[in-house]
Amino acid sequence: MPADPHSRRPAVGEGPLTRLALIGLAILFLAAFLALPLVAVFSQALAKGVGAFLKSLTDPDALSAIRLTLTVAAIAVPLNLVFGVAASWAIAKFNFRGKSLLLALIDLPFSVSPVISGLVYVLLFGLHGSFGPWLRDHGVQIIFAVPGVVMATVFVTFPFVARELIPLMQEQGVEDEEAAIVLGASGWQTFRLVTLPNIRWGLLYGVLLCNARAMGEFGAVSVVSGHIRGKTNTMPLHVEILYNEYNFVAAFAVASLLALLALVTLAAKAALEWRFADQIAAAKR
Amino acid sequence: MAIEIRNVEKTFGAFTALGGVSLDVRSGELLALLGPSGSGKTTLLRIIAGLDHADAGEVSFDGQDTRDRAARDRKVGFVFQHYALFRHMTVFDNVAFGLRVKKKAERPAEMDIRRRVDQLLTMVQLSHLATRYPSQLSGGQRQRVALARALAIEPKVLLLDEPFGALDAKVRKDLRKWLRHLHDDMHITSIFVTHDQEEALELADRVVVMNHGQIIQVGTPAEVYDHPADSFVFDFLGGVNRLNGVIEAGVARLDGKAVRVDGAVGADGPAVIYVRPHQVELGVAPAEGVPEGKWSARVSSLHAAGPVARLELDLAGRALEAQLSRDRLSDLALEVGSWCTVDFRHARVFPAKS
Repeated sequence: MPADPHSRRPAVGEGPLTRLALIGLAILFLAAFLALPLVAVFSQALAKGVGAFLKSLTDPDALSAIRLTLTVAAIAVPLNLVFGVAASWAIAKFNFRGKSLLLALIDLPFSVSPVISGLVYVLLFGLHGSFGPWLRDHGVQIIFAVPGVVMATVFVTFPFVARELIPLMQEQGVEDEEAAIVLGASGWQTFRLVTLPNIRWGLLYGVLLCNARAMGEFGAVSVVSGHIRGKTNTMPLHVEILYNEYNFVAAFAVASLLALLALVTLAAKAALEWRFADQIAAAKR
Repeated sequence: MAIEIRNVEKTFGAFTALGGVSLDVRSGELLALLGPSGSGKTTLLRIIAGLDHADAGEVSFDGQDTRDRAARDRKVGFVFQHYALFRHMTVFDNVAFGLRVKKKAERPAEMDIRRRVDQLLTMVQLSHLATRYPSQLSGGQRQRVALARALAIEPKVLLLDEPFGALDAKVRKDLRKWLRHLHDDMHITSIFVTHDQEEALELADRVVVMNHGQIIQVGTPAEVYDHPADSFVFDFLGGVNRLNGVIEAGVARLDGKAVRVDGAVGADGPAVIYVRPHQVELGVAPAEGVPEGKWSARVSSLHAAGPVARLELDLAGRALEAQLSRDRLSDLALEVGSWCTVDFRHARVFPAKS
């Protein structure tokens, strides 16, 4: 039988039934595992009304946790921005001994359990750790204090920027930089005018992801923070404490704020992608 | 500016990219570095630009050693194979880049930069595209932007890496002519790398043939084409018939008959006779026998599109390509399957490699 010339089914593609089933399955999965919990967080937070919700958020301990989380992110993200760019620049543009070792080290925070990462800092800087006595003598407290929380967060979020940039920079090669140098640009001019614009979108994604993780990190921070209310509690830790005290409304209120931050991050990423679609496409060419 | 290259060596791991290369580039000439991939031609170009460093030997510009001059201080115009245009900048900003990154004391005023860039864009016939981004241009247009960008810093020498490699045949021909005219107007010392012998022969004042990190021959296009230094050059310059024969008592023979050859004949033993297709002389086959000193061949295929006819002949079991004018072809009245006589106007003989 000759094919119907009007059916125009693409060569690669399935019938409408298969397509419907696949899309349906994906949506069902997303609803069950992503959307439903999100809805649950917000509905639990508002279970006793807006008043109770706001009251749990303005509680001094909650405010302190929010402040600490934002502070930690404000320190960890810029640090990893600089480290990430430097590391990927070195890996993508130069050949040197120990390059693969550096690559493996960058992946370390991803492959090691966050609890271990936290424990390492306790072993190093805790009272009975390698540097503990010296730090105590000089009146510096890292473990069970804000510096420890910051350090653990920096460690855990280290790969996000570098991992985003390395493949991008490797793909782009060094020809643009060579062109700039031959035209008389200095190293800094080359970086600022050529390299940075070439990687800005990858860098932005890396920073957004890094930020999301910095605010949400639980395991490593939990080990080093000591859970001191109003002092070393970050938002995720505060959520756990409230939950363990059966204070569900307060726990979910703080949790909803965390979820909201994540949603805002995602929305910002999507908005930027939409706004600068042309430039992103051009950068990839 | 004249460039002297002395005994330059470069290895990448176990691979010898350049094995002691010396070359004099004359001021104002257009020089082609011609060779197959891996012959070291691009490495040599990059060493001149300062993008790679020679392991040994020296490169001097007008007698001044360049060892301590970084790439950014060499005032070299470099056109990359894939152009390396800055994709986030407009055509105008790309061309202006070299002027804007100059140190404050040397940097022209923004108005002068604007005038200079406009002038360059007019020269490369792209004024109407000044506000476009590289991704919105065709290959030939990108190539010209890259050229304008390189010329903006008023380089003493212009280096081009496979300048026409990524373009289609028609654009390539036009750009080639255009670049030749541009060079004739500006007389800037220029070196371009290519693996296309036609391009090198048509465009360059002198051609440098390279192979395995060595310079095999330097000469004008006519010199290297008519008097190739060895069998590699003969082969690489394209379109050649290789016929297995022998050298006996100082005479090259093909199927027992003597072949008149140019240049030295070499020692007795197996040999390869090189003949260009247009040097193959065809004649009407007589009713009987083969005339003295000629060979007999049968036409196995015939392509007669364009002004030149291309014939493939069967010469005692060997494939032989011949080229002749369409008029000559009709005089001979040859067609597939017919017989003809074969003679060689010019041939070279080189000892067979064992």
